[in-house]
Amino acid sequence: MTAATFELRGLTAAVPGETGAVRLVEEVSLSVSAGETLAVVGESGSGKTVTFTSALGLLPKPGRVIEGQALYNGTDLLSLAPESLRRVRGAQIGMVFQDPLTGLNPVFRVGDQIAEVLRAHLSIGRREARERAVQLLARVQIPDPARRVHDYPHQFSGGMRQRVLIAMAIALGPRVLIADEPTTALDVTVQAQILDLLSELREEEGMAMVLITHDLGVVARQADRIAVMYSGRVVETGRVDEVFRAPRHPYTISLFRSIPDLDAPAGTMLAPIAGAPPDPQRRPSGCAFAPRCFAAREADGCMSRRPLLTDEGHAVACHRQGMLEQAA
Amino acid sequence: MSATVDDIEIREEAAQRRRAAIRRYAKHPGFVIGACGILVLLVVALLAPWLAPHSPTRTDLMNTLAPPSATYWLGTDQFGRDVLSRLIYGAQVSLQVGFFVVLISLSAGTILGAVAGYAGGWVERALVAAIDILLAFPSFLLALALVAARGNTLDSIIVAVAIAYTPRVAAVMRSVVLTIRPRPFIEASRAIGLSPWKIILRHIIPNALPPVIVVATVSAATAILAEAGLSFLGLGVQPPTPTWGNVIAEGQTSITTNPLISLSAGLCIAFTVIVLNLLGDGLRDTLDPQMRRNTGKLL
Repeated sequence: MTAATFELRGLTAAVPGETGAVRLVEEVSLSVSAGETLAVVGESGSGKTVTFTSALGLLPKPGRVIEGQALYNGTDLLSLAPESLRRVRGAQIGMVFQDPLTGLNPVFRVGDQIAEVLRAHLSIGRREARERAVQLLARVQIPDPARRVHDYPHQFSGGMRQRVLIAMAIALGPRVLIADEPTTALDVTVQAQILDLLSELREEEGMAMVLITHDLGVVARQADRIAVMYSGRVVETGRVDEVFRAPRHPYTISLFRSIPDLDAPAGTMLAPIAGAPPDPQRRPSGCAFAPRCFAAREADGCMSRRPLLTDEGHAVACHRQGMLEQAA
Repeated sequence: MSATVDDIEIREEAAQRRRAAIRRYAKHPGFVIGACGILVLLVVALLAPWLAPHSPTRTDLMNTLAPPSATYWLGTDQFGRDVLSRLIYGAQVSLQVGFFVVLISLSAGTILGAVAGYAGGWVERALVAAIDILLAFPSFLLALALVAARGNTLDSIIVAVAIAYTPRVAAVMRSVVLTIRPRPFIEASRAIGLSPWKIILRHIIPNALPPVIVVATVSAATAILAEAGLSFLGLGVQPPTPTWGNVIAEGQTSITTNPLISLSAGLCIAFTVIVLNLLGDGLRDTLDPQMRRNTGKLL
């Protein structure tokens, strides 16, 4: 395996709370290499977004990273001065956000906003920036780009706006593209188009891509590797085919069980995961998933000790691992 | 150019949007009256040398405190100066004060408020504390103290009133910025690596301006009022320069016999304040999409 382009090591981010620091994400380690797509999966509040915003120094105050590293080509972004980090953001690492409807400034023309990214990092003139904005719009398959650069965001549909935001994210040829639920706000037919566009761009540019999502169908189609997050921690990670064939963490297993199956006989009930994820201020002292877990057992320390992620290719953080495998 | 047909269409679209905006303003009676009133005042102030029938400072000692006549339409004051001419020239001072106070307090207040709202942390706390202290202090008294300290030239009056009104703009600006800061396009601009100053200037301020412009228009009215007040107290631009406040003050001595002198100057001030407020209300209604449904009502 080639050296990772973007790697998080033991990243822990917290906000101050009434009873000490509340850890939003804990000891997250992930990596992604050029040309590869890593899917980060988890329910709302599991820390998917916080992981990456904190790695790029975008975590809103008073949140901050209290431990760990975020390595981009070997440089720790968290040790960079704000000014140097700013130069990496946008230029080397692009980000696409969840909500394309509000991601663009309503008072400026689309072309000017794309040109702004270019001019923030390159010393090029207005005219050249405008020309390249047109090329970028063409690149993200917006019809009639020479004309659409003059339009305002409200003249674009949701899918088109997401294309514009993608154009802004890839404007400077970043080596890493982080897409945070890029299709959640879009309707289903548009979702597929946007995902196809993203994987096309990733292939052409040889970017490393992080796809944050809670849609396992998207993961199966787009990703090479997957990291499942639960309550601020990575609980399982591995190659997509492996994890999908044989999920090992009870949370992952439950996730797959809760997907509707079109071939199931009529009347079959879905198997939702009972309960809700813990409040980060009141995480159980043992495994955070134990209260909802079908396999948890006190004898194995599920309620008292925090399970650590194993060190293998298909890694899992669960005390009951051995037992589950025997049962399978 | 290759895309000439497209260019024409784009220009037509833009022209259509502009026409729609103009129609929206034209339908708002308050805005129209306010704008026309300001226009009249501007014309009067700019053309004062041609419009005024007499010199505002020339004394006609044979005709002191004359009643209105064909020569002196509004009569003369105790030095025999033509009241109408003094009022016409007085518009120059008032409008200058209004314009420059808004210019200064709008620029300074916008920057201060935007920085306070965007920066957060101790920068915000310090700026907000300073703004609150200035807001708690009666702005007319503050202007009065500043004029007393700096002398009463037109420049120093403008600066003093502008300093007194800056915190209002800054406070409004900050509150608007707080609603803009969490919007995704601000996070997106940080993610594409824009510097904080660029984000404030390009993304925060343009989105926050409409309510601030309304506040600025209305504070133009209060600034003019403040200048008139200072003049009336003898701390404004010194006589014999004609200002509306001076005319009121000078007319005071003969208010029982010739009330028209003070009254006409007072009406000038009232007219200016009213048209500026109408203009401000009109701007508020037309600039704020949520208010657009209620446009057209005067009261």
